[in-house]
Amino acid sequence: MFRAHMSVTRIWQLIEKRMMSCISVRGKLPGLQRAVGEVRRKSSFRQSPLLSAAPVRALIDEQISIKGRFLSQNYPVTVCAQMHSEEGDLWEAFAHYTTNASRSINLTSDHSVGGSYLGCEPMGLFWALEPALRSRESLRLRKRNVETPYIVNISLLEGHTSPSEGQSTELAAVTVERWYMAPGVRRIEIRQNKIVGTLFLPPGPGPFPAMLDLWGMGGGLSEDRSALFASRGFASLSVAYMGHKDLPGPPDIMSVADLYFKSAFQLLQDHCQVDADRIGVIGLSFGVCLTLRIATRIGVKPSCLICINGPVGSPLLDEDGKTKTIESDQKHWELDDRGRVSFRHVSLPDNLPPENKQKVKNITCPLMYIVGEDDLCAASTENADVIEEALRSAGKSQLFTRLSYPGAGHLIEPPYAPCARVSLWRAKPEKLFTLWGGHPAPHAAAQEDSWKRILEFMETHLRR
Amino acid sequence: MDRKQYCVKLSVQPSRGLMDEKFIVLIQNALPGSQLTIRALHQCEDGHSWEAFGHYTADTTGTINVSEDPSIGGTYSGVEQMGLLWSFRPIPGSKSGLRMRKKNIQTPMEVTISVYQGHQTEGFADLVPLSGVAVERWYMAPGVRRIPVTEGGLTAALFLPSGPGPFPGLLDLWGGGGQLVEYRAALLASHGFASMAIDYLTAKITMETGKMVDNQYFETAYRVLQQHPQVCGSKIAMIGLSFGTSITLKMAVYSEVIKLSAAVCISGSHVQPVDGSVEEILRFFQKNGEKTRFSEKNEVIWRDLLLPIPTDPSLKVNVGRLQCPLLLVVGEDDQNWPSQESALDIKEMMARAGNSHLLTVLSYPNAGHLIEPPYTPHARSSTLKTVEIEEKVMCLWGGQTVEHSRAQEDAWKKMVVFLRENLYGGRNPTSFSHL
Repeated sequence: MFRAHMSVTRIWQLIEKRMMSCISVRGKLPGLQRAVGEVRRKSSFRQSPLLSAAPVRALIDEQISIKGRFLSQNYPVTVCAQMHSEEGDLWEAFAHYTTNASRSINLTSDHSVGGSYLGCEPMGLFWALEPALRSRESLRLRKRNVETPYIVNISLLEGHTSPSEGQSTELAAVTVERWYMAPGVRRIEIRQNKIVGTLFLPPGPGPFPAMLDLWGMGGGLSEDRSALFASRGFASLSVAYMGHKDLPGPPDIMSVADLYFKSAFQLLQDHCQVDADRIGVIGLSFGVCLTLRIATRIGVKPSCLICINGPVGSPLLDEDGKTKTIESDQKHWELDDRGRVSFRHVSLPDNLPPENKQKVKNITCPLMYIVGEDDLCAASTENADVIEEALRSAGKSQLFTRLSYPGAGHLIEPPYAPCARVSLWRAKPEKLFTLWGGHPAPHAAAQEDSWKRILEFMETHLRR
Repeated sequence: MDRKQYCVKLSVQPSRGLMDEKFIVLIQNALPGSQLTIRALHQCEDGHSWEAFGHYTADTTGTINVSEDPSIGGTYSGVEQMGLLWSFRPIPGSKSGLRMRKKNIQTPMEVTISVYQGHQTEGFADLVPLSGVAVERWYMAPGVRRIPVTEGGLTAALFLPSGPGPFPGLLDLWGGGGQLVEYRAALLASHGFASMAIDYLTAKITMETGKMVDNQYFETAYRVLQQHPQVCGSKIAMIGLSFGTSITLKMAVYSEVIKLSAAVCISGSHVQPVDGSVEEILRFFQKNGEKTRFSEKNEVIWRDLLLPIPTDPSLKVNVGRLQCPLLLVVGEDDQNWPSQESALDIKEMMARAGNSHLLTVLSYPNAGHLIEPPYTPHARSSTLKTVEIEEKVMCLWGGQTVEHSRAQEDAWKKMVVFLRENLYGGRNPTSFSHL
């Protein structure tokens, strides 16, 4: 019954008896001779274990359940995740588990005893990803093209090992895809009315509630959050306001002003598939300042506001709503012993001229402020206090909700993305790295919880 | 229309699933107590459109959860989590005798699920839904590779799971309709089995030479699979449906080359001239052609061709000599093959021979012949062109939709467990009465 134990001679006898007649039809059975030896080496004494994941094609904010089965009892294994970023860097994470009497592991309920994370972390293999090469340490993982998925290879290795050791035997593997866009979500490039942005629409007839999506002073156009909002049933327009080739002016200044954001908001209002009375604004970092300005100064009425780790005002943002370059005022920059800059003190309320602070008391809609308590880029807690106090004085405390996460950094983004504690801020005239803050596990918990709360907040204020 | 209805939210999770994966269809923010219709629409590769729908009433929180709440009308009723898929039927005006089968398994089945105001039963094309989502259903998991196989004159396709292997192997055979049918093998590869779908009736070599393949064709397939560097040569199973069962049982018992770790036989029989080639077996069936019956709708019923189950041992595979676990799947309303009678006879033969501990029978009342992977629609009859008859006939497969769909779901689940435990589990051959 066990083919593997037969002698090569016997195998050849059988082949001659049964196979030669059909082989001769085609001339050869390529690889047969070579393969026979391999069969004897590889065939099974060893019971192959089975590694499975569900779902194998998930949205970015969906949990993936990973299981290993048909292992031996009390058997140490390492589960390892690997993927390539768009820039070609290899990112990896790994964790150590030991099977019990059930001869299986289940990452949804079992505890990691070593590796990139510890304890019971069903999505740890994703949020604990790090660049494989030490030299590429301060990288930030971002997906520019949200129309294609991340492809992550998850493997099961023998023993408690680390991928960099390279010696371990791979027992099994499974491939998963992680998508920003659900099927049917439409991505539309917007270059009209001088707006530079990308609109994401959910599938279906609409009309949909919508979000205006703003990021920070790093510039460019980030689409990942908007793509996910559309996958969750909200139209979402992400706009660029500096550092984009299609925008006027030098890249390190915001050369657009209030009218720009008004046009963006109106684009959503005028869109036939958007419900004009149900539009919210979300901003991260400097985007918070813009969010507050949009809500109070430019003649539009959002239905809700979400502010993540950003200032109530900025010395870089003048009365007309235009910025100076971030380099122009470095007096509050703090450099650590490795020459990395923290911008935190720039946005301390005491360092902000009063005339630069947005008129929070004029806000008329619910506002949720999300704080990463280890934010090294913005003085988030202090700014949240200012906003809360301003609303309280105006008799509007009921509009304010704060979520505050210990150990979380500046970049509180959609869940299961790795925490970038530091990354490259600029390359010229010389490289400058900036500190975002955050530690992997608490930052991951903050991203997961805040995302859920953000979607609930949007459902409550934009759909009911 | 109430403004609030515009805010009805429909979600399906996961939006990208494997064909045998369940999903959760949820409606939120509807007007409490409102009547809504949830409808699924799919256009298959040959251009025909299929629909399924259920009638629901939103609860006091304005929510409908298809996994928990009953449909009170439509193409399915009651609490049916996957009813929107298994109750698919061709849209009104379609021609008769259609059967939904995917040929290109590298792309997903795309389904649009929408919610409509009120309890609608027709004219959906003229209605504007309140909300709609797109859902993908895949036969192949990411990383599964499809490799065409032509070695040794085979017409086959091998599906390899991701990872280093070695993987247990599977030979996958369909029935009298011929062709290279890949979807079950692709799905099984997504569950960790190196699966080879084989065309043995309309293989290239048969089309070119006019000659049917012989027994060695299957042994070649086994060899090719066994010797693949990523296949675990001592853990190979075979699965056959309909005529594929005849081949599977023959190979399992009589082949000196093919040594199976497990066999799955769906909707088939052990009745055949035991020394017969494929051609001879087909001729044996044809000889009994006059036992063909017709339903009142003139559908062909072929189940009597092998009845009564013979007592002559030269006309039945000697299942008493089987040495590997065997899972038999039987639809009790099978109108195409006498699978239930055959299963009973197989059981008796194995009991007499003393190897019935190898046998597990899954028998489903009101299930028909075509017991396929779950959540695909049931065809009680469909047009068929077999290798023996030139023109198409309307063939009666049997089965009642609800029970047939439950049978597909249950049988598939148990089949995958059976294959896993025998091919991955490394246990001694044993029956699976716990299934």
